[in-house]
Amino acid sequence: MEHKSKANELKDDFWKSKNLKVMAGEIIHEDPEDLPEPTGPTSKPAVTDLREWDMKLLERYEPFYAPFCDMCCLCTYGKCDLTGGKKGACGIDIEAQQARIVLLACCIGSAAHSGHARHLLEFLIEQKGEDFSIDLGTNIDIEAPIMRVVMGKKPRTLGDLKEALDYLEEQMVHLLSACHTGQEGKSIDFESKALHAGLMDNLGKEIGDLAQIAALNLPKGEDAPLVELGLGTINQEKPVILCIGHNVAPGAGIIDYLEDEQLEDDVEVCGICCAALDITRYSPGAKVVGPISKQLKFVRSGVADVVVVDEQCVRTDILEEARKNQAAVIATTDKICLGLPNLTDEDADKIVKKLVNDEIEGALILDPGKVGEVATKVARKISKNREALKKLPDLLEIQEMAKECTECGWCVRVCPNSQPMMDAVSGAAEGDFSKFIELYENDVCYTCGRCEQECEVDLPLISMLTKVGERFVKDEIFNVRAGRGPVQDVEIRRVGAPIVLGDIPGVIAFVGCTNYPEGGEDVAKMAEEFLERNYIVVTSGCGAMSIGEYRDEEGKTLYEKYSGDFDAKGLVNVGSCVSNAHIPGACIKIANIFAKKPLEGNFEEIADYILNRVGACGVAWGAYSQKAAAIATGVNRWGIPVVVGPHGTKYRRLFLGRIDQPEKWKINDLRAGKVVEGEPAPEHLLYAAENREEATVVIAKLCIRPNDTSKGRQIKLNHYLDLHKKYFGTLPDDVYKFVRNEKDIPITYKKEVVKLLEEVGWAPRAIPQEPSLMKFREDRKISDQGDSK
Amino acid sequence: MNERVIPWQPTVIAGPKQALLVTPETAEMMIQKAKRPLLVVGPIINESPAQVFAAKIAEKWNISIVSTGDAFKSLTESGVHSYPFGLVEIVNLLKDPDWCGVNGEGQHDLVIFIGVIYYIGSQGLSTLKHFAPHLKTLTLCKFFHSNADASFPNLKDEEWLKYLEKLSKLD
Repeated sequence: MEHKSKANELKDDFWKSKNLKVMAGEIIHEDPEDLPEPTGPTSKPAVTDLREWDMKLLERYEPFYAPFCDMCCLCTYGKCDLTGGKKGACGIDIEAQQARIVLLACCIGSAAHSGHARHLLEFLIEQKGEDFSIDLGTNIDIEAPIMRVVMGKKPRTLGDLKEALDYLEEQMVHLLSACHTGQEGKSIDFESKALHAGLMDNLGKEIGDLAQIAALNLPKGEDAPLVELGLGTINQEKPVILCIGHNVAPGAGIIDYLEDEQLEDDVEVCGICCAALDITRYSPGAKVVGPISKQLKFVRSGVADVVVVDEQCVRTDILEEARKNQAAVIATTDKICLGLPNLTDEDADKIVKKLVNDEIEGALILDPGKVGEVATKVARKISKNREALKKLPDLLEIQEMAKECTECGWCVRVCPNSQPMMDAVSGAAEGDFSKFIELYENDVCYTCGRCEQECEVDLPLISMLTKVGERFVKDEIFNVRAGRGPVQDVEIRRVGAPIVLGDIPGVIAFVGCTNYPEGGEDVAKMAEEFLERNYIVVTSGCGAMSIGEYRDEEGKTLYEKYSGDFDAKGLVNVGSCVSNAHIPGACIKIANIFAKKPLEGNFEEIADYILNRVGACGVAWGAYSQKAAAIATGVNRWGIPVVVGPHGTKYRRLFLGRIDQPEKWKINDLRAGKVVEGEPAPEHLLYAAENREEATVVIAKLCIRPNDTSKGRQIKLNHYLDLHKKYFGTLPDDVYKFVRNEKDIPITYKKEVVKLLEEVGWAPRAIPQEPSLMKFREDRKISDQGDSK
Repeated sequence: MNERVIPWQPTVIAGPKQALLVTPETAEMMIQKAKRPLLVVGPIINESPAQVFAAKIAEKWNISIVSTGDAFKSLTESGVHSYPFGLVEIVNLLKDPDWCGVNGEGQHDLVIFIGVIYYIGSQGLSTLKHFAPHLKTLTLCKFFHSNADASFPNLKDEEWLKYLEKLSKLD
């Protein structure tokens, strides 16, 4: 057994001063840069350790609750009616109940990401060993910014990531337990816990992506290639394996097997959701079918011979749907077993035989390598025989089916977006498919299938829609830049100053799903708008795919038009859901690399820096999942505002500022040592917009920060005013709130703005030199002394 | 159950407290009774006859208008003055009993909604149902909104426009 110990961890000062490492007799000189940085006050924070910071945020951005349900039905005391100020049998009120559900959602979302990370990590450690080094190359020294802040140290090996996961899982147990009846009772403390769950979500994602980047050699922040995207890119003449979900391991197993057997050109491997993005990070030869909105359509089309599901965002009726056209289903994780027999330990060929002979509906195989072999063999064997099954009802059949419609209208009533499905069916009955086409194009209908469940004559509405849209499939050929992972330190050095000073007007991150009628196009148009205006646009997950499905007037995708650099006019796809961690990660790096703020255990100072200085804004336009709740809440705690679409109000809670309450915006100028008048920047922390036009204007406004220089403020205000004029026709009434002195006024709008300022009796105010929500340094010392006593 | 008073999106049913169905006549009574009513106009009726009726209703009873989404532009182009707010922003202000109202004359006591996208409107109404006991909500959309205090029933376009026309002409 090898005995090793770091001498600098010993008490002896001699060893410490020499900074030596002793390892089984040999002496290794350690690079002084590898020395741990001094640890700040909150490494491995417990549930209440960051509560003080949370309360500062929550005081300014008060929770806004929109109950989705008037009752609580979590225990057998209930159901309890919480309307009219009534409390439930346990004493909970409607605010606390909403906050409890938000915490629950954040816990679920966070657990989904960290469960995913745990799966990956255990698998990769098994493959590579605990000592496998985390090395992201020469351009990235800060490989794990979230982990450094939260854990208080740098991870060096895959084994080090386990410590972070262990800590995270402990926190999650405490947080989830707070949701039990008779635990937390105040909404504000549920919110603090939700923010902690969000932070754990961010940490879990970083662990997951870092592990797969390091161990699977995914792109390490360098420019990644364009990969094929769209239904039209899938070669239906070949056997097709479809991966749905988020875990790269089974997809990687398939690709490895194909490469080992030199079958890469014989089998089509494609994916839906983040699994698609991650397998293209692993192998650019894989293809991306598209975002989650394509799932039911593509499965119904029968193109996929084998459907491999891993975890998250997989339709729970996937087995039933896949079996409608006799595709084989392979479940690959403990999260989704689908009632299938666990054949992990069975011989691969025996499993293949059972699947090919239809002896079993599918198989649960928890070994990614075996998944690769079985999926490939099954796809190759059944593909030819399934030719006849790769057919949807033809148009004449659809017309006949449509004639059965009773025009009850309930398909429209139950549609989450009240889309006119009944009109589409009525038209089809007359041979007019134009309204079906309107629903198909741009995923106006994102095929949730609720309409089918309601249809009193059981019309297969999604199959009908899919068939009508089939003629467009050949044109659905797009591309997306493969996920590049983290932002490089060298990029942060280049853009840190212009972002903090405001010369680059903002960093806007389009993340998560685009489940909204024309939601993909909405996101792409917003991305285009901000790219043209010199913002840095970052994206991930289904949002990244939706952006790729849009072509500009010249027929180019935005990935073809804009570079993948983290710089003004750069369109950066960081990768899958877990890669989202690199977005707050980039903001954290700005605080460290540009402003020299120490990271280790220093959460509050870093978050305070981001809130007041880094003009970043997240956008989750079609967010539907609990993961999205956790992601947004997590980045909120780092001081990054988020805009969601109109359905986002169903998350039950937003964080809204009050522009009409100036006392809420007072801010500490740490350098001047005094409290100064502030401004609503950013005005909200979590905001739901009603449509794209509103969202676009709000996003521009939410990039304003107290630290902007006058030049930076001019640039930011220019975009805000410009967009307001474009979508609202006038300048915004609140512009005076963001003008600190005359130098802040954009030259283009000077005359109009000056007039507005005169109307409201505006007076100039000082620009804070070091804006902060933190205590003055002297107060902190006094407080620390008090604590030590 | 009468389909006209099942929430337009049926799963919106939130609990025991449901909106009362109103006709143009009963809606008029609510408006007349209010001291500081407010009309919130959303973007789904941009440039539609319903928006014209909404403006007429506001003019008839001298009700201030808040526009949400991008409805401000459409209303302004029609010569109608409105205060632009995000839907969640105006709801956030309305739930504060101490807010001074859009005219600075005090919190509103009746908020009338029309043209707000159904699901975000429904959530906003839920907020007011729970946290704004100081005001009543009335919806003039063609969809039954169970989270309001009072709502038009589910209506076909033609019938809805007749309701709005009638309300805009009632004395």
